[in-house]
Amino acid sequence: MYKEKENSWFKGGYNFFDTYPIRFCNIVEKIFSDDMPEIFEFHASVQKIQHVIVNLCPTEPWILPNWVILEHKTAAFLDKLKEIRVRYFPDATIHIGINKNENEHIVETIDYAVSVEWMKVYKLDAKYPQDDPVILAKVILGVDISFNKDTISQGVVILDAQTVSAVYDNCILGNQVNSRFIALSGTGLKENEIINVQLGTSIEKMFKGRFKEGIKYRVFVNGPLRGNEITDLSQRIDWSINNIVALDAMDRNIMFPMFKSNELALTTNILGELRRCIYCNFCDDICPVDLEPALYYHSYGRGEKHKARLYNLGKCIECGLCSFICPSKLELLKIIKECKALDK
Amino acid sequence: MKKLLKPIEPILSKGFDRVESFIHTHRSVKFLFGSIFGAFEGLVRGTKETTQTQPFIRNNYDVKRFMGAVLVALVIGWVFPAIYFYGWQCVISKLIVSLIIGVFVVDVLWAIIAREEHISEGGFVSCLLVPAILPPQSPLWLTGLGAAFAIIFRNVMGGVGNNLVNPAIFSRLFLTICFPSLLVTGYQTPFVGIPDLHSLRYGLDAVTHATPLTAFKTSGEVASFLSLLFGTAAGSLGETCRLALILSGLWLIKIKVVNWRIPVSYLGSVLVLSVFFSLVMGKTVAPPLFQLMSGGLILGAFFMATDPITATYSQNSKWIFGAGCGFVTVLIRNFTTLPEGVMYSILLMNLLSIPIQSLMVKIKYRI
Ligand code: SF4
Ligand code: SF4
Repeated sequence: MYKEKENSWFKGGYNFFDTYPIRFCNIVEKIFSDDMPEIFEFHASVQKIQHVIVNLCPTEPWILPNWVILEHKTAAFLDKLKEIRVRYFPDATIHIGINKNENEHIVETIDYAVSVEWMKVYKLDAKYPQDDPVILAKVILGVDISFNKDTISQGVVILDAQTVSAVYDNCILGNQVNSRFIALSGTGLKENEIINVQLGTSIEKMFKGRFKEGIKYRVFVNGPLRGNEITDLSQRIDWSINNIVALDAMDRNIMFPMFKSNELALTTNILGELRRCIYCNFCDDICPVDLEPALYYHSYGRGEKHKARLYNLGKCIECGLCSFICPSKLELLKIIKECKALDK
Repeated sequence: MKKLLKPIEPILSKGFDRVESFIHTHRSVKFLFGSIFGAFEGLVRGTKETTQTQPFIRNNYDVKRFMGAVLVALVIGWVFPAIYFYGWQCVISKLIVSLIIGVFVVDVLWAIIAREEHISEGGFVSCLLVPAILPPQSPLWLTGLGAAFAIIFRNVMGGVGNNLVNPAIFSRLFLTICFPSLLVTGYQTPFVGIPDLHSLRYGLDAVTHATPLTAFKTSGEVASFLSLLFGTAAGSLGETCRLALILSGLWLIKIKVVNWRIPVSYLGSVLVLSVFFSLVMGKTVAPPLFQLMSGGLILGAFFMATDPITATYSQNSKWIFGAGCGFVTVLIRNFTTLPEGVMYSILLMNLLSIPIQSLMVKIKYRI
């Protein structure tokens, strides 16, 4: 079954593909671990699953793109999905959300979906944070699930393309899966690349010879928006790592920054002076779940952290867009996390 | 531009570094000139700070750009038309006096005395607004005094971001109280026609003329719609050419610096209420279209009521804020002895914005 879901976008959000276009080199290099590679494991849940969402709509440009997994063989991918469904989620409907700009995948998926009734296809707008579990469930299923809680316990399984194909290889074909694709990108690297790396390889080995020379870089696992910074490069790759971004730190004064947007884009420079909130409404315009982050900032500034909870704080999905957009460069997400921590 | 600046970049950068280290090693120099240096450096040099918490990338848009857009809109909206109508000698001299006294004297002195870290670009916006809301024939010292009041007042309240009411309007109120005669007279007919050198320099030789709203109050005379739209009717220096103000205001709305809800609700409520009063009371109140286009309403609705700091924050309360401004404006214009009420209405609603905001937030979140 095919379902057009184009007009049920959420309010707010931000299209990062326009601001930070990243092109990956389409040769995939293979990297082997020095030690015994770890093995991918999949545990089927005991609970009865009603809905499986397959997310084919990455919304950050540094995330592993769909073509790496699908390899222009969308139908084959959907066949795998069919077998997984038969084995693990026999009663579930499979919802496939695809980036609406990827025409090839959409056409083939729709062709496939018209003949089966357990599959639904949705064209999604690739604006961040469309691929967040809370937003996906809201846009596709129309249900509200709570943030930071296991989605399976709420009856929804969310899979990405790579997990689908690993589950198929591992559980259906019985092969051992011990490697995964990782997207490496950012202004700190010579080239944006996709590599196929064995689980357990150290990040240091993976990045060998890839950093630009003569600059100070910072490394982020799973993207600079929601991911974490790592300083210890001996950390090992596991299945949860989708991409690694190395950014130019840019911790120096730049002359005439107004003419250098390109040079400064995708660096960790804060790009402006810290000021007071000017009530510009940028933060609530961009918030995907319709909150007003400046209210938290003002509660916090008055020393009334506990009051932030009154303004639907629990609904925040910690996407970080409010901090990203704030022209006064306020650390809104940090404040939100502090106020949330008070709750527990 | 970028290429042109390339060769001087390293020299400038080194110069800044040297001055910076000099200032930081000499306490008394830092005390006196630190903030001026900081402000100047902020104009040409980016920041050094990097992000320390999620998200680790930030948008390339800061308060400077935000204020810069307002400045550009103000220059297009009133400075250029005013030069055409009143001659550059009148306009430019007032602007220079206002900016020098407001930003370079008062703000800098304040930064030194109060040991404020920053001289911010918000002062430029206020100082560009002060001459716009004074009559064209007002003396230069009045403009200077107005700018000084505006900046002192804003700083006393805690600087940009903490000011409860619009500093430019507040200083105009202050001047009205101190020098009422200067602000009631001093309106002149703008120059109309093909400009020659003389008119571009001096405008029309000072013929005082009542503003359309005053004329209506005294004799019931209604100025034509077109003269109001294009700015050939008398008025404050910056409020006459409504066409340019509307266009630049729309541009600000498009780039999201100005929230569209406020002008829409402000102008809409003025229209609705004046239609209502016209129907009820007939000719004693000004006709709706005339009310919409006369006085400082367009300037106020697009540039002063929308000042994000003094308006309310939540989107819903912006409707109430704008409608309140419109209500008070119509009341003052039609039922008091004052001919114009835009200034007072914005001031009043600025003060009311905090209770409105907290009430609306309480309703929204059901607290
Ligand atoms: S984006 Fe920043 S400056 Fe603007 S209203 Fe929100 S917190 Fe205030
Ligand atoms: S971090 Fe929370 S409050 Fe900020 S934009 Fe995202 S969801 Fe909204």
